[in-house]
Amino acid sequence: MEKQNATLKALSNGPLEITGKFTITDSSGKEIAGKGPVYLCRCGGSKNKPFCDGTHNVNGFSG
Amino acid sequence: MSSDDPRNRQYTNGEITVFWKPSKCIHATTCFRELIEVFNPGRRPWVNMNGAPTRRIIEVVNKCPTQALEWKYNRDLSESEIRDIGELNTVEVTPETLTGTEKDLKTVKVEILKDGPIIVKGNFKVIGPQGNEIKSMHMTSFCRCGGSKSMPFCDGTHRKIKFSEND
Repeated sequence: MEKQNATLKALSNGPLEITGKFTITDSSGKEIAGKGPVYLCRCGGSKNKPFCDGTHNVNGFSG
Repeated sequence: MSSDDPRNRQYTNGEITVFWKPSKCIHATTCFRELIEVFNPGRRPWVNMNGAPTRRIIEVVNKCPTQALEWKYNRDLSESEIRDIGELNTVEVTPETLTGTEKDLKTVKVEILKDGPIIVKGNFKVIGPQGNEIKSMHMTSFCRCGGSKSMPFCDGTHRKIKFSEND
């Protein structure tokens, strides 16, 4: 069984939680996070993309 | 420039042409999960334009999360642009043969694509919204626009709804 370095959990109707050993780079290639847990927006509505800002609670996001 | 990449291929059924750019492929596997009759990485050439009706091919190409697969009507192309891949003088690269190095990564790499999904590479596991472990994998893409029909994964909807990360 090979070792998994990180876990990505899609929280119900909420963000993507990332824990473990990872790095995150933004769309310009800049490293923006490397220590968990980190919560990334999945609903498309955050004003703080790529991070979650809780907007999924008010825009009715389901998934 | 990826448009000059010698690995690029194009395939036509006379009505439309499908363009394949391996450098943009992120192994989302949407194409062959949806339409193995047309997109079969185990076959050469891996794209069989006679495997399904044009309408269905367009539907699946539109779901490609990146621009690795694109299509155009042949009537919108000049005559010199319309050609099938014909002679295969180099080995054809498919979404499967591209995979390989991701599993050797020591750290999981999470990349945010501009106005697109979250790409993840390395050794990781995915847990779904119901707390279920979906699977361990080496590469996948997560929806960031909120519109995917295959949550939590990307299905290309961000392009249809013109998702912008600046909104």
